[in-house]
Amino acid sequence: MEFESAKILGKLIGAGLAMIGAIGAGAGIGIVTSGAVQAMGRNPDATGTIQTNMILGIAFAEAVAIYCLVVALLILFVF
Amino acid sequence: MSEKPKQRVWARWVVLAAIILGLFLFTPFFGIGLGIKPIMPEVFLPGEKLSEQPLFTIPFVGPFYYTNTTTGIILADIVVILIAIGVSRGVKSGKVALTGISGAVEALVEALHGITEGTAGKWTKQIFPWFAAITLLVLASNWLGLIPGAETIGIVHHSEHKGYALKDLGAIGGLKIQTIWDEGEPAAAEGEHGAQYVIIPFHRPVSTDLNFTFALALVAVFMVQVMGFRAQGWGYLTKFWNVKHFFSKPIFGFIDWGVGLLELVSEFSKILSFAFRLFGNLFAGAVLIFVMGSLVPIFAPAMFYLLEFFVGLIQAIVFGMLTMTFMAQATQGHGEHEEAHA
Repeated sequence: MEFESAKILGKLIGAGLAMIGAIGAGAGIGIVTSGAVQAMGRNPDATGTIQTNMILGIAFAEAVAIYCLVVALLILFVF
Repeated sequence: MSEKPKQRVWARWVVLAAIILGLFLFTPFFGIGLGIKPIMPEVFLPGEKLSEQPLFTIPFVGPFYYTNTTTGIILADIVVILIAIGVSRGVKSGKVALTGISGAVEALVEALHGITEGTAGKWTKQIFPWFAAITLLVLASNWLGLIPGAETIGIVHHSEHKGYALKDLGAIGGLKIQTIWDEGEPAAAEGEHGAQYVIIPFHRPVSTDLNFTFALALVAVFMVQVMGFRAQGWGYLTKFWNVKHFFSKPIFGFIDWGVGLLELVSEFSKILSFAFRLFGNLFAGAVLIFVMGSLVPIFAPAMFYLLEFFVGLIQAIVFGMLTMTFMAQATQGHGEHEEAHA
């Protein structure tokens, strides 16, 4: 195999592997939302506060997936 | 009497649906008839330079080029300023209930103010402007990228790596209008630099440029520290260098000191996570629309535009809300703790 095609192959495999980290973020967002929805069901008056904190929690969990995404994008388009 | 207008409304919707369906059906047949395939645009991570020469050079930093994300920030600024002018006119008009754009902005600002009051308490007046300004600017820049033509109209540029063939469409005055299209065969036959052209768009949403998100993150985290100093004075520094109980309670004092150092690290990681969250979401959204537009050019992109509409809104609110929450945390700090001891 010539060097150029080996490089592209490595890039694609690396970008794909980098996105494995999104698993954790997906599970995390699911747990956050499930807890928030249960809390809202038990105490509908507190919906506003719960929603704010839920969005913050989702943002923190999502940040990890975004790191993976940025690494994958860097591998694909920069190197 | 009541039947007639109802029928007319119904007929209008049918005509509208027919027009849309006709356009949808016409586009692929027209494209296939001419042999035009939807193409995948070249993806660039940094903002593409529109000016050949740097506009000016900042010492120790480097040259400053006019990139297409610069157009993005200028457009976003213009939109925010126009909104401000419209709202100030609406407020000065003296109406009891604001209408039009100022009414819409009032609703948004009221919602943001309510969230800030719930979190920040008595510091609402100082913290709210940062929250609202960041949210509005990021929202404007995110949604400007969804305007049709935002990432498709630009300068045709010769590319070294890969690209598509060039085709003349016509001319207006001295301005040549060209497009790039996929001829189906690799254009290597025309030589090394034969038919390899890409389009560098005039406008790209500024949130897809890491420079913008990083600068905004630096401003946000710096102002969090400023809020902390304003609320607690020099006592704010004990958050990072906590030696209050270092000798009185040896083990827990040492743990407190270590936690303070971790707080210092977390301030820096806040900058990174702020910058990469906004950049990653918006850049991935742009790439998603590129890919979907080239794979399924009809119907499907509309769904992804809707998705990007929500992502743009949510990311703008999240950026502002995190800034607000960190500021509120910085103003609280260990203040209550000290009062309890005294």
